[in-house]
Amino acid sequence: MSQETLQDFAGVWIGKISEVVKSITGSGPIKYMINWSRMYALWPVHITTACCSAEFGAMMGPRLDPERFGLQAVAGGLRQCDLLIVEGTVTKKMAKRLKIVYEQMAKPRYVVAMGDCACSGGLFHDSYSIVNDVHKIFPVDVYVPGCPPRPEALLSAIIKLREKIRRQEVFA
Amino acid sequence: MTIAAGKEPSTLDVSVGPQHPGSGHFRLLIRVDGDQIVSVDPDIGYVHRGCEKIAEYRTAVSNIPHLERPCIIDAIHLNWGYVLPIEKLQGVVVPPRGRYIATIAAEMNRIMSHLYWLAINAGVFSGHTTIFMYGFGDRDLFIELAEMLTGARLTYSFLPPGGPRRDLPSEFQQRLTKLLNYFERRLVEYDRIFFSNPLVTARTKGIGVLKKDEAIKLGVTGPVLRASGVKYDVRKVQPYGAYADLEFDIPTYEEGDSYARFMVRFEEMKQSVRIIRQALEKIPKGPIARKAPLVIPEGEAIGRVESSRGELAYFVMGDNSDKPSRVKVMNGSFRNLIAMPYLLRNVHIADMPIIYGGLDYWPLEADR
Amino acid sequence: MTAPNPSREEALVSKLKEHFPEAIKTSKIEGTHEITLSFEKGKLLDIARYLRDELGFDHLKGIIGIDEPTHKIIKVLYVAASFSKPELLDLLVILETPLDRANPAIASAVSVWPSAHFHERETFEMFGVKFEGHPDLRKLLTLDNWEGPPPMLKDLKFPEMGQR
Repeated sequence: MSQETLQDFAGVWIGKISEVVKSITGSGPIKYMINWSRMYALWPVHITTACCSAEFGAMMGPRLDPERFGLQAVAGGLRQCDLLIVEGTVTKKMAKRLKIVYEQMAKPRYVVAMGDCACSGGLFHDSYSIVNDVHKIFPVDVYVPGCPPRPEALLSAIIKLREKIRRQEVFA
Repeated sequence: MTIAAGKEPSTLDVSVGPQHPGSGHFRLLIRVDGDQIVSVDPDIGYVHRGCEKIAEYRTAVSNIPHLERPCIIDAIHLNWGYVLPIEKLQGVVVPPRGRYIATIAAEMNRIMSHLYWLAINAGVFSGHTTIFMYGFGDRDLFIELAEMLTGARLTYSFLPPGGPRRDLPSEFQQRLTKLLNYFERRLVEYDRIFFSNPLVTARTKGIGVLKKDEAIKLGVTGPVLRASGVKYDVRKVQPYGAYADLEFDIPTYEEGDSYARFMVRFEEMKQSVRIIRQALEKIPKGPIARKAPLVIPEGEAIGRVESSRGELAYFVMGDNSDKPSRVKVMNGSFRNLIAMPYLLRNVHIADMPIIYGGLDYWPLEADR
Repeated sequence: MTAPNPSREEALVSKLKEHFPEAIKTSKIEGTHEITLSFEKGKLLDIARYLRDELGFDHLKGIIGIDEPTHKIIKVLYVAASFSKPELLDLLVILETPLDRANPAIASAVSVWPSAHFHERETFEMFGVKFEGHPDLRKLLTLDNWEGPPPMLKDLKFPEMGQR
């Protein structure tokens, strides 16, 4: 056979094998295992955006202990993290860097918009240097209102996010 | 972190950016030569929300939440400093009981802010994550009491012009005394775990020395100034609130290194406990607030308080309307910013978080 | 602290006025803790050096800019104080001068008071005041964020929330 027909033949078979792998792992117990491991190891990125970071710190403290849910503030690297918490007001200067950070995270990645300012502009909505709608920069999964939201509210948002991960498709 | 070639062939420009476990919402452009930092250029403004511009568009009272948010962990001081010049212009005198309540709330807030500093700036930045857990655990107990007094965890808006919003609740004094007894025992543990820990003393003694005449020339303020030997505290120099009737010391150290800055804040926590105990005993009975007008009369006034990060001065200009025509905030973090490029020269990279943590630079407050 | 001598402020004001008879125009004493002096902008460095060396006011607490479009000026206020003289610890000396709104420029005080470095950068950015002689005058807070006119001028109005 010629080179082209050999490559087409191989391509068709590789396509068929990958479809079979996707249908096996995308459902049933393997899907459950993969989603379980994703939801139990959500590592947030170490970027503090504005004043809600004080309540984020309080959530990571010993009172609520999010480590039992897998949330560890690891000072490792950006590529290993999968949760970006936008805490508080996003200025135009910071929005550029948040976009870079979001694009550097490996998929699957999730975003939680914490605080009134991240949801819709909040207290400083008419300032000249802030971005009001964060959902135009990257897609947001969970919104947490409050100024600042209580640490219990943020933890319940993380639990809702875990429910969302448990139900989602593996190869999104 | 982006990397670019430096000016000389052996140096490298590194950007310790807003996404860094040791920097907060603030960027430092560092020029390194091997392991030594040659020079540093701070890049601030990542959280600049235009508080001074917004202040001209809100009424005097509804400005309080905006001006509280820059240093959210120290909100009572930011609130009090804003209200002092307005009360001066309006001619309103807060009754004694109101001043004592404000003093108690302010000293509780100083302890909370220093515990946050201990947990993150002194703890996480130097890699000591145990003190992070201790600091946040004890801080939550104080936050519960603040919630009992004011109704909010962090953003109190407790002092409109004229005096505090609420009186002390009935069980407040008992619970606060119990908490202070517990906290004094904990401070002994902090000393053993952290401030006398040989790892911490080895990393901080002799690092980032700021001598007395340099500190005066650079105009730094707060614990940084007191760690360099200048005994200056607005609570003693120009007393406000109830500080004129209470006895307390100003901890001052002579060495000017990072260890001295750490110890000044540790001693300040002890002095705050002392102040709160005296205030709870001496608090008089009577009304807590006077009704203040809604209009700011024409004129300019400056009011100063001693916040946890240094001297906080507000300049308020009124023009006979309910909105101020100019509000200027001169806070401790912005004044201490000049110490950073000055101290971070010819040090190792590993000393950078220690020096930065010792200055207790809060980027939100400096950017407003 | 004992109560300050009631004529301490008057003594300082008269010393400054006799040293700089034309440069210092008006003076106001506010209570016992504040002196406000308005001066002519060309003499800033001489007055600053006299305050620092002879009287002991060794640092700046801040530089305030006030925009007054009706009088066509931008006022600049320097708040100076002392850390080293114990009898002057609670005193604030405020030096104010009006600058032409169309082209505000004044000499930089960094050579006398190094603590003015970042305050001057911020006033340059927010009001457009040029400080001649500043080693590194560039924008500080809105570096790659804001391309328009200086934000704190009253020309910039917000679209909602009460026009001024």
